[in-house]
Amino acid sequence: MSHGHSDPVQHPEVQMSSVRGYLSGFLISVLLMLAATYMSATHAFPPFGLLMVITVCAAIATIAQTYFLLHIDTAEHNIWNTVSLVLFIPLFVLTIGLTWWMFSQLYLHTMPAMTGMH
Amino acid sequence: MLVQLPGGWNPLLGRLALDQIPYDNPILAPLFVAVVVGTILLFGLITYYRKWGYLWKEWLTTVDHKKLGVMYIIIGLVMLFRGFIDGLMIRTQQVWANGPHSSGVFGALHGYLTPFHFGQVYSAHGLIMILLAATPLLVGFMNIIVPIQIGARDMAYPYLNALGLWITAAAAVLIMISLFVGDFAHNGWFGYAPIFELQYSPGVGVDYWIWTLQLTALGTTLGGINLLVTIIKMRAPGMTWFRLPIFVWTSLSANIIALTSFPALQVALGLVAADRYLGSHFFTAGFGGNLMLYTNLFWIWGHPEVYFVILPAFGMMSEIFPTFSEKPLFGYVTMVAASFAIAGVSWMVWLHHFFTMGAGPQVNSFFSVATMLVGIPTGVKVFNWAFTMYRGRITYSAAMLWAIGALFMLLVGGMTGMMLAIPAINYMVHNSVFVIAHFHSMLLVIVYAIFGSVIFWFPKVFGFRLDEYWAKVMFWLFTAGSALVFVPMYMLGFMGMTRRLDYVFNPAWHPYLEVMEVGIAVYCLSVLAFVVLLYVSIRDRVKNRAGADAWGTARSLEWLAHSPVPFYNFAVTPHVNARDELAWRREHGMDALEPERYVDIHMPSNTGMALYIGALTFVLGFGLTWRIWWLSLLSLAAIILLMIIRSFRGDDGYIITGAELERMEKEALRNRAQADGKYVSGGRGQVAGTAIAYGRNGASMGGDPFNSSRDGI
Ligand code: HEM
Ligand SMILES: [Cu+2]
Repeated sequence: MSHGHSDPVQHPEVQMSSVRGYLSGFLISVLLMLAATYMSATHAFPPFGLLMVITVCAAIATIAQTYFLLHIDTAEHNIWNTVSLVLFIPLFVLTIGLTWWMFSQLYLHTMPAMTGMH
Repeated sequence: MLVQLPGGWNPLLGRLALDQIPYDNPILAPLFVAVVVGTILLFGLITYYRKWGYLWKEWLTTVDHKKLGVMYIIIGLVMLFRGFIDGLMIRTQQVWANGPHSSGVFGALHGYLTPFHFGQVYSAHGLIMILLAATPLLVGFMNIIVPIQIGARDMAYPYLNALGLWITAAAAVLIMISLFVGDFAHNGWFGYAPIFELQYSPGVGVDYWIWTLQLTALGTTLGGINLLVTIIKMRAPGMTWFRLPIFVWTSLSANIIALTSFPALQVALGLVAADRYLGSHFFTAGFGGNLMLYTNLFWIWGHPEVYFVILPAFGMMSEIFPTFSEKPLFGYVTMVAASFAIAGVSWMVWLHHFFTMGAGPQVNSFFSVATMLVGIPTGVKVFNWAFTMYRGRITYSAAMLWAIGALFMLLVGGMTGMMLAIPAINYMVHNSVFVIAHFHSMLLVIVYAIFGSVIFWFPKVFGFRLDEYWAKVMFWLFTAGSALVFVPMYMLGFMGMTRRLDYVFNPAWHPYLEVMEVGIAVYCLSVLAFVVLLYVSIRDRVKNRAGADAWGTARSLEWLAHSPVPFYNFAVTPHVNARDELAWRREHGMDALEPERYVDIHMPSNTGMALYIGALTFVLGFGLTWRIWWLSLLSLAAIILLMIIRSFRGDDGYIITGAELERMEKEALRNRAQADGKYVSGGRGQVAGTAIAYGRNGASMGGDPFNSSRDGI
């Protein structure tokens, strides 16, 4: 260990956190969630548009949370966080991608006339 | 209220009412009386022997990774027993309720369990065995062994470790309470949409199921984080990545899967809870919900989970085989690579649990091929173990027998898994008892590895060996039981017997069911043998006392510490020179060196906080199950408050001075000299050129558990 560990506040990972960071992460996610809930409750868009809008909200919230709350970035003193990012992205793409693929195939095979609805 | 609740609800007690206590059930009522009497007796005994203080100081508030590990294992064994009783009930019902002429008692048309009750039994059986028996047992072993194997003083976050344990305990208590208050889910261990929706399962059973799973998921995730950080950050000087014992490697890969997959489970269950509590429609057929999305989300976690439990078992086998073959493990690097290959592939195969969904040939082929790929690294492991034993000086000790048994089970389970991975076969046997037999073979690998490890590492933790004779008796009884139960089960699977039958319609299957019932009886005998084993071993503990290296041929670092391992693990953090450190030291005559000088060490202090928070998570789970809103809110607020208090107060830990340490070490060495009759006093700090026994600045070079606990984590 290169840095002294008598004072945990001196740790670079602890230094990175700030009240402002946590608050912005929290507020952004709450606001996005409320907005998404409101839009689906009021049917603000046609179904497909709603799906897209909610997906975008979710994506922004995910990025805000990983950055502000989990401090996952590519900073050098934060090598293990970067490692988890590198691990996370393929997993994310795999699960979402394969799920999308299997369900689109499922709809294709089970309800050909209705594929457009989903 | 957002949803229409059938039955009563009142603000004070939620859905809880007197008629929810099954006091008229002929099985549960006597059991309840027995449990109450037993509890009173236990509390009375503890009070009589004035052990409350000891229990509180040494166990309930401890942050010592070894004691927490032991408690994990105790929870696991108790739940293993509970799950076994469920299994016995399932087998007995099926052999009894076979054919139209079978009799029925206790309100059941056939057999002795009504379909409603039977559904609860198999659901609880599966959930308990995978999440509250196998998982805590493995987490317990990782907890005890990993820090010692890497020469750490404790886990990276001792307090978080205690928290994980007590949350797991809360989950165990929650599922046990469901026996006597209300009922449990009947949707199988993994749940189906839409049967778990409020409309089709109006009782509290599914709610118990949701919150039990949520709590175990939380506890296991916390434990996983802790193990990962410990392995990455707390290794002793010289313990480079490629000197790590294989058990550490498999723990690392297993916990990576746990950390990345458990959230999927928590999300899936959170959505089920939203459906049941808030009236949403994620998994209903109407209103845009999607039934199969649940199955998909569940197995995104479910399949990685099965590898989360098998990988540590592979690690255990990799420790046992070399010790009793007196050879280093064959193919260390390929073993590491295989562990990570298995972990990686386990992420891409989950659809094999629902090939029959009908996603079509492209999707099914992809997942079929991906599933079969797992066979390659698994095969590498099997050959590595075989080559480890090849031309080794094999001792058929009890631990070795269990490990070999695990290897055979792995072959059976792996082969049948390969068969299931072929969609054309899968369509035939999906949801038949063939699948049940497959995954029981696999889970038996884990059970075998665990019992092997209990025997293997018992002397390290308690300072004496278990009785070899009774351990072998238990092994053979258990193996006979496994064969008698699962060979007929494979055959019945091919004959078309589906899983989860409360009534088995075909009388022609009776002989097979009877053989399985005999197998269960043999299993009962092996449980008895285990009790005898514990009794005999504790009785003869002085005779069976073990030295640091309990087997004489052990290879890895944990065998350098005293047996039993003192609460501070190593008085002076050892310097690691080789892959099999102990074997290396034995060769270089350094295996019994005493450090020249003892320095102060810093240890984390005990805390009751983890216990309180664990207890509160139980209250929260109970409140949510019964929809007692004030209780849920109150316990949630209390949990958050306690966490804040803990993070502000932190832990300053305490110091063991060098002098105290020296006194304790002298004593331990005296005991050790009696047990194995060799130790060099006044050892040299350095031998043979670059070899170092102990780092010069001692304790501060190793990990310092105090440091991380300070932040209140
Ligand atoms: C060689 C590697 C393996 C292969 C190819 C394999 C394949 C499969 C397949 C295709 C199924 C789905 C059967 C069906 O429902 O139709 C299945 C089910 C299952 N497997 Fe495996 N498996 C393997 C290893 C394991 C391991 C290591 C474990 C656990 C320790 C395990 C536990 C399970 C469980 C629990 C189920 C069924 C769960 C349920 O439906 O309740 N498998 N396996
Ligand atoms: Cu699987």
